[in-house]
Amino acid sequence: MKKNRNDHQMSKDKIKLPKHYREPEFSVDGLSDEEKAGKSSRRDFLKMLGFTVGYATLASSCEMPVRKAIPFLNKPEQMTPGEANFYASTFFDGNDYCSLLVKTREGRPIKIEGNRLSSVTKGGTTARVQASVLNLYDTSRLQHPLKNGEKTAWEEIDKKVPTQLNDLASEGKEITLLTSSLISPSTRQLIIDFKDKYPSANWVKYDPVSASAILEANRISFGTAVVPAYQFENADLIVGFNADFLGTWLSTVEYIKGYAKRRNLIDEKTMSRHHQFESMMSLTGSNADERYPIRPSEEQNLLLNLYNEIAEATGADIHPASPAKQNISGIAKELLNHKGKSLIVCGTNDTNNQLIVNAINYLLGNYGKTIDLNTPLYTRQAIDKEMDELVKRMNNGQVGALLVYQANPAYDYYDAEKFAEGTKKVGLTVSFADYHDETAQHATYVCPDSNYLESWNDAEPKAGHYSLGQPTIPKLFDTRQMQDSLLKWMDREEEYFSYIRKYWEKELFPRQEKHLVFESFWNKSLHDGVFEIKTETGEQPEFNASPLKAKNPQENGIELLLYESVAMGSGKFSNNPWLQELPDPLTKITWDNYLSVSPSYARKHKLKNEDLVRMNGKIELPVFIQPGIPENVMAIALGYGRQNAGKVGNGVGKNLYAFVEKENGTRRYHLDEVEIEKTGGTYPLASSQAYYEQEGRDIVRETTFDKWKKKPNSGNEIHEKIEKLHVTLYDKAEFPNFHWGLAINLNSCIGCSACEIACQAENNVAVIGKEEVRKRRIMHWIRIDSYYSEDEENPQVYHQPVMCQQCDNAPCENVCPVAATPHSNEGLNMMAYNRCIGTRYCMNNCPYRVRRFNWFEYVNNKKFPYNMESELGQMVLNPDVTVRSRGVVEKCTFCSQRIQHKKLAAKKEGRQLKEGDIKMACQEACPADAIVFGNLNNKDSEVYKAFKNPRNYHLLEQLHTLPSVGYLTRVRNKETKT
Amino acid sequence: MYHLIHLAMNLNLSKLTIAAFRRKTLLYGIFMFLLLLASQSLWAQSAAEGKKLYQTCKTCHTIGGGRLVGPDLKGVTERREEDWLIKFINNSQEMIQAGDPTAVELFNDYNQVPMPPNNFSDDEVRSILKYIEVVGEGGSVEEATAEKETQPQAEAEEPTAEKTTAEQAKDEIDKEITQRMLERSRNYSPVFWISLLLIFLSIFDLVITRLIKARFVHVVIILIGVIIVTEITVREAIALGRQEGYSPDQPIWFSHQVHVQQNKIDCKYCHHIAEDSKYAGIPSPDLCMNCHNVIREGSRTGKEEIAKIHDAIENNEPIKWIKVHNLPDHVFFSHAQHVNVGQVECQECHGPVEEMHRIEQVKDLSMGWCINCHRKAEVVNFESNAFYEAYVKLHEELKAGDIQKVTVEDIGGNDCQKCHY
Repeated sequence: MKKNRNDHQMSKDKIKLPKHYREPEFSVDGLSDEEKAGKSSRRDFLKMLGFTVGYATLASSCEMPVRKAIPFLNKPEQMTPGEANFYASTFFDGNDYCSLLVKTREGRPIKIEGNRLSSVTKGGTTARVQASVLNLYDTSRLQHPLKNGEKTAWEEIDKKVPTQLNDLASEGKEITLLTSSLISPSTRQLIIDFKDKYPSANWVKYDPVSASAILEANRISFGTAVVPAYQFENADLIVGFNADFLGTWLSTVEYIKGYAKRRNLIDEKTMSRHHQFESMMSLTGSNADERYPIRPSEEQNLLLNLYNEIAEATGADIHPASPAKQNISGIAKELLNHKGKSLIVCGTNDTNNQLIVNAINYLLGNYGKTIDLNTPLYTRQAIDKEMDELVKRMNNGQVGALLVYQANPAYDYYDAEKFAEGTKKVGLTVSFADYHDETAQHATYVCPDSNYLESWNDAEPKAGHYSLGQPTIPKLFDTRQMQDSLLKWMDREEEYFSYIRKYWEKELFPRQEKHLVFESFWNKSLHDGVFEIKTETGEQPEFNASPLKAKNPQENGIELLLYESVAMGSGKFSNNPWLQELPDPLTKITWDNYLSVSPSYARKHKLKNEDLVRMNGKIELPVFIQPGIPENVMAIALGYGRQNAGKVGNGVGKNLYAFVEKENGTRRYHLDEVEIEKTGGTYPLASSQAYYEQEGRDIVRETTFDKWKKKPNSGNEIHEKIEKLHVTLYDKAEFPNFHWGLAINLNSCIGCSACEIACQAENNVAVIGKEEVRKRRIMHWIRIDSYYSEDEENPQVYHQPVMCQQCDNAPCENVCPVAATPHSNEGLNMMAYNRCIGTRYCMNNCPYRVRRFNWFEYVNNKKFPYNMESELGQMVLNPDVTVRSRGVVEKCTFCSQRIQHKKLAAKKEGRQLKEGDIKMACQEACPADAIVFGNLNNKDSEVYKAFKNPRNYHLLEQLHTLPSVGYLTRVRNKETKT
Repeated sequence: MYHLIHLAMNLNLSKLTIAAFRRKTLLYGIFMFLLLLASQSLWAQSAAEGKKLYQTCKTCHTIGGGRLVGPDLKGVTERREEDWLIKFINNSQEMIQAGDPTAVELFNDYNQVPMPPNNFSDDEVRSILKYIEVVGEGGSVEEATAEKETQPQAEAEEPTAEKTTAEQAKDEIDKEITQRMLERSRNYSPVFWISLLLIFLSIFDLVITRLIKARFVHVVIILIGVIIVTEITVREAIALGRQEGYSPDQPIWFSHQVHVQQNKIDCKYCHHIAEDSKYAGIPSPDLCMNCHNVIREGSRTGKEEIAKIHDAIENNEPIKWIKVHNLPDHVFFSHAQHVNVGQVECQECHGPVEEMHRIEQVKDLSMGWCINCHRKAEVVNFESNAFYEAYVKLHEELKAGDIQKVTVEDIGGNDCQKCHY
């Protein structure tokens, strides 16, 4: 391989990334030649002059607008205008579950926080959960019921649908309720009642990305078709096989909490060890201690070989398998040393793979220790076969009525066409979609479901863990939640709210002893948002050995892996501009999906980033070169290419669901062979990061666990030296009262990007669209930098959140000609928007590149048709943070509004600020608890302790910027090579 | 000069009010005197007094008109004992708490809406009851009294007389405020244009006509002219967007003077949110109803204005006040910080609100004005409020006598990001 490195030899380690991996720092797309050369013409000058004079005249002739102040008619007692109220609620969209607190201001939900009382999510959130509040204010949501695509009234539907259902029931024709996995116990009961009313009713569950194989395998191995509780916090050794449990797999918040708890190296001095075998570069793989790129077809064989090694040592049955391509005896040995303290997880939806995994975990005695079958996870319940059978019955004309809730098979079913055809043969199709989505297009009646923030609901994500959801705003549109529609059609004159109450009174109230009256039990549960019954791991079901078999790994051909991206998931939230603009944690690409190819393949076939290729002659995809993928494997995200998602999500990316295959009754998310041909065209991709190398600089400082044990400052020795070099001629800046600081534990941070969306929601950060992102103008105040190191075949990946470092010797401050960014006496680097004249000198002088410039007015601007364009979308804005206008620079403020608010609260109560009173938006959202914030002057504060931790260092600290943000070194539990 | 006019106007105004007030009290006084003179046993007169006192009751009760907030009072004297009624009318809650069965039953029957306590003498209650009896039997007080001349007439006339007073007062205030606005808007334009003209003339003379030989004259004129023009431009530019003296007409003709100065209501009774929130909070109509449930007629404006509150609640339509004190969107000002923690009097920023019939912005609310106060104002309870314990250095300096007081500026109150974020 020819080295494409630049001639300056800054770094010692040779990074072998190809040259096309680097892009210019500033994009010149769309500029004229003159502008590219940096010239401006006389005409430009005159234009500007005319504009300035005109604008000044206009501004000076304007009168002050008349503003209205409209008080409540009857002020609710618990509501104080100007102060936020928090309500406990529950998020579940068919994929992810999260118990949360909804922050409302003057009756508008504006921010989502995690609920710390939940023992499932423990206060953590994900990017999608954080972004879900924006869906409420989406103008593309259905605003009234539809009949054959035309507006209709609820009365009309309530007249027609029950009559038709009654007719069908008396004929004995099948009435099918097609839903995603449902975790609401009341809804489950409601569906049972619905079946009583309409005896021919049938309930089919369908998940676009399913865990059907796990359910099936556990049915075979243990006689119970459940997804068990994986307890990463109990595991000393984790081995993952294509399971992106930190990114998208099953119950990510719960797993991240458990995983990060064992790896933060602050509370405990031990660290779990994590091996990951995977076919693409996933978020989980990028955090693993040891990562092994494998072909998707190799996995089964590897698993069986691993099983055999362990079986041999434990004396269990051995099943024939061809020899593995990788040497796994080391891992087998490690696993045997961690019996009962290890955990093997596999994300592949193949029953054979899952059976082997079950057998390995059983042999290692992990059941009851790190895996619990008695408190199963209910967020994935769908059996793939049921859906296939339903589509068959639909096409045979056997289905009389189809009621679709929280599912969109016309988009995400692999044979969407057949499903769509089938709907034509169904007499009555009703969709409960909140958007006029692909499936709703085929429905006779669309009965729009209310947003979860407008509805009552309950949930049981895990056995014994219940939570309640309550409305935090009256319905914005003429919508009705699905359960209310069902109740209406069952001739029940009650609302779902009273139905839930009755269910809780009957089923859950007797299961506790604390409350003697139901009312107090209900109020407490509603206040806390959660009700949990103490569950014991107990005796695990008996294991039944079953024959294990593995196919031989494929030798040739290009294999394709389909995965869910961290931002988009299965594609339900496509119309959410925050998520569309969320850079992928690994590639940093926004607004698109793309075909990830390995660098060696790209080199062989002369592919560059953004080149278009045709796959299987059907679909054209842009290429992105992703280190860490095996040479003949490609990967692409599902969840894109929606046609009827709404104005933001329509036509973003390509839909790959049609490539999902069926095998042994389960859907298969990898293809054995695809054909790739170069089309010669290109397609622009918008990435928020252009450069993925550290050039040998210690931007992310790292060490290994062994070295850290011997020397806690290993990898960070230079910090001490630099600290001594901080000499200055000026007076030392002093912050005698408060000195705010923030520390990020790089060992906890997994790069999940929840903080980015949390910050965006808290601080009114604008969405700017693909074109602008491509010009490197993304507005996020906190970004997560990802760096790749070592070899391109299997690089180490580092995630590093970077926000304004609030330097005490800030380079941006002294170049501002108008003193718009001075330093506060609490150590904050302040930004006064109204003083800023937009010279951008500060941006140029900031070594961290955290300042953002408002190139345009992003509010009320038709050219940026995202949430800030419409009045409805603007309702999500935080009234405590200025909405920036064109021409000013903005950046992270350390959530000043939160600091001020909590300080005032303490003053009012006449008490000192407590540790943990003030929480940054990023900190509160973080599922890994990687961020701490506090007063550096307080010697008892967590942040002070973190700053004194030998692992602590500052970004580019040799520049003497004296940041108030500290990073704790990345420690990998690697075997020290001798 | 401006202050003098202001003062004079104010005096004038208060004189007006006082005159009106006096005339009214006089009328009432005469009426009460006549009443006292007349024999108490006189049934008819007693009923006439009852009619007047009954005005308080009619908000919630009818006589033969059916149930309202409270029960229909027709035949109440037959249903209940007189002693019971006297006790109940003056303080129903006391009886309910004492557990009087009839009282408790009534309270529960009427959605537990308490009847506000009254301060009637026993005879006054009797006169009300008599009035209820008369009306209940289908008679009218007028018939019963058979003498219509003095009181009822005065009563009939009073509202119209009042209305004109109200309108007059309204006009007076309008005029006064316009006058003050005119006074305040310093009209620089003649000076500006004359200066500009002089500059051009001198340039013209300097270059073309050359009438004045001494060049320094031109230079001096141009220099002074430029200074004046610049000064005026800068002043006008700074004042852009400021609303000192802004006093728009409000949807309800609400007078702070009547509420604060005359009725001695504390600012924070209505603006109680100011203690807890960044907003001072315009009171919601339900708060107005605490008093206006009973008081349905104003001393200056009659029934019309107060009826607007009732209309708002009945029609479920909020009252759209015009916001007077506006800060730019990028300013975060917290009332709780200033009123609750800083114990700043409302008047310090809002001016003599208690003297205003129509609210007006007195201070310019400019940043310079904020900052100047922050420089001078002392931190309240710096030594006793535990929050300030974090300010160790300042405490030490205070103890050592290096500083006499801790100002808001000292604790960082003038940092940009305390108000702009």
